[in-house]
Amino acid sequence: MIPSSKPDSAALAAPARGADARDSADPQRVLADRVEQLYSQMPLGIVVTLVIGSIATYELWDSRTRDLVLFWWGLVLLVTAARAALYVGYRSSKGKLAEAAQWLRWLGISALANGVNWGFAGAVFFPSHTDEQQVFLAFLLAGIASAGIPTYAASWPMFAIYAGAIVLPFTYVLATFGNRLFAEIALLVPLFWLVNVGIAYRLNQVFYAGYRLRHAYGRLTEDYTALNRKLEQQLVELDEAQRQVDASGRKLALFAERAPIAVLELDSEGRIQQINHAAENLFGWTSNELVEKNASVKILIRPEFHADFDAQWQQLIASRAPVAHLKIRNPRRDGLEVVCEWNVTPLVNTEGGVVGVIAQGQDITRQMEAEQLKKEFTSTLSHELRTPLTSIIGSLQLINSGVMGDVDKEVAELTGVAERNGQRLLDLINDILDIEKIESGKLNLVPELLTLDELVGESLVLNKGFAERFQVRYEPRGTLLPVQVKADRKRLLQVMTNLLSNAAKFSPAGEAVQVSMEDLGTRVRIGVHDHGPGIPENFRARIFGRFAQADSSATRQKGGTGLGLAICKRLIELMDGKIGFTDREGGGTVFFFELPKHGAA
Amino acid sequence: MPAQPLNRICYVEDDEDIQKIVRVSLERIGKMTVEVVSDPMVAIDTIKAFKPELVMLDWMMPGMDGPTLYRMMKEVPEVRDLPVVFITAKASQRELDELRSLGAAGTISKPFSPKELPVQLRAIWSKLP
Repeated sequence: MIPSSKPDSAALAAPARGADARDSADPQRVLADRVEQLYSQMPLGIVVTLVIGSIATYELWDSRTRDLVLFWWGLVLLVTAARAALYVGYRSSKGKLAEAAQWLRWLGISALANGVNWGFAGAVFFPSHTDEQQVFLAFLLAGIASAGIPTYAASWPMFAIYAGAIVLPFTYVLATFGNRLFAEIALLVPLFWLVNVGIAYRLNQVFYAGYRLRHAYGRLTEDYTALNRKLEQQLVELDEAQRQVDASGRKLALFAERAPIAVLELDSEGRIQQINHAAENLFGWTSNELVEKNASVKILIRPEFHADFDAQWQQLIASRAPVAHLKIRNPRRDGLEVVCEWNVTPLVNTEGGVVGVIAQGQDITRQMEAEQLKKEFTSTLSHELRTPLTSIIGSLQLINSGVMGDVDKEVAELTGVAERNGQRLLDLINDILDIEKIESGKLNLVPELLTLDELVGESLVLNKGFAERFQVRYEPRGTLLPVQVKADRKRLLQVMTNLLSNAAKFSPAGEAVQVSMEDLGTRVRIGVHDHGPGIPENFRARIFGRFAQADSSATRQKGGTGLGLAICKRLIELMDGKIGFTDREGGGTVFFFELPKHGAA
Repeated sequence: MPAQPLNRICYVEDDEDIQKIVRVSLERIGKMTVEVVSDPMVAIDTIKAFKPELVMLDWMMPGMDGPTLYRMMKEVPEVRDLPVVFITAKASQRELDELRSLGAAGTISKPFSPKELPVQLRAIWSKLP
């Protein structure tokens, strides 16, 4: 038996709902059912064969034909044993469905063999026996042949083969017997055979239709059951969803009611439907008062802006798009005003119509005042503090430079202290202004094409004073590369000045602070190598933060605001670069920054 | 570069302290002759009388700011061609660029170093046509 290697595609196919019921039956299953029906008849067939075969052997037994009858009986037993084996094989098979066609073929062969046995009996024993025995044989063959109709009802060709094998040899014997009556019967027998095959064929159709209907119905039932289950599941889900919607609706209402921001519910005309506690407190109206007055939201807008408001409202309703961060000065019931930032959201139904508008307003009056204060403060820092400092530092510089004539040594020391500290104060103010500018996004860089070795060289010259003050020297480490970058010249010099002055401050007197350049392919790295004490472990994480200093006593000794590296980091990042530090071999630190090379991908 | 070295300077500035520092810086270190004007409203008359080679204007002054005075100077034939340098504490790059395009000779940002001021002015002077 050849096991089918084809996957049971019918079982995988999706049920075709709505198609003709009979067409939706799986042909393989129908076939398997027919085969099952045929095999289920086999035990009866085997028993009948053995019983009738025994009777026939007994009846036909006589001394003349003893060997032949024994031979025939042996054949019957052999074929019956094979049939029994086939039956047992089928019953224990696991491939009844997939291998149905194979089982059908084997059954066909067994039916043929069975039929041939009876045909043999008719053809061989009829001529040689007595009249009584001839009648017995004719009855026997007729009975055996017609018993095939119900037995092979599920396959009419099988019946045709079986019955044909029985009656056709017998017909030949009758026709050639030399007896007129027998010759006439010989004409009738094939006719009977044909009629019987016709009946078997009709019966077969009935069986066939029955099986198809059974399978189609089975599938429909399955589909129906699945559908029903799904429907029930959906009902449960719907129920759950409804519960959730209810719960979130209540939650939402609670949120709106308790929210610290003002929430107004408006209809599509802008009339107030409801306002929450925060809104009542902020504007001085109760929700009920506004609803009873049939008030428009325009009650919260200054009359001179009503025309503007109407236009914007029209646009809101037409576009159905939410509007955010709308800053409006809103009059309150008591005549005072608050500034609110509004988020306005149209509520749109499934048909796309605006059914209402939710307006959420946050009182930002204080925030606006704070922003204004900050602006004023920044402006004050920038001008009012720097102007007197200019006078102070300028005067001290003139004295300390000696153009006013010699001063007493101790006086000169004190004016030196005053100048240095004045300068520190100025640095701090400048750094705060820088940070403020960067963080508020107001710092506009002016990128230009710069050749880095020139810029680095220039920074070394510009900061020479620093080196002298801390008794160190600045020098290049290796060759400076003429790499081009696109960056803000002034700000890049500011970064260099910061790194160089830090390195000078923390290097012991007499050491060299070295500046290196390294080509990294698409980027270039500039490093400042110092011989300082290194960065303490607990300071590494916040070194680029604001007001970051490892040791506050160092500030007093050496100056610095603690903002320098924070500014450097932000400036370098604004130039698409990155900044960092590593430990220098043999002690000290390397601060470096990287910038994208101009023209490199 | 102008033929003669920079010598006569007129400075319009309302802050008397800064006036003093600039005067000392330019006279003592720069060895220049300086005329200071406190009131921008009379500045043009003073400039006409003093005949400086270069004018320094403070940006922020009560009454009239530096750029306004500069535009007024452009209307007066006797002073319109004088090179003008702005002293400023807060001008943005955009405003500085705008002034440059109007023809200002240069800008010096506040706070400036009085030690360096004469050098800075002479550097601007040397770049003039």
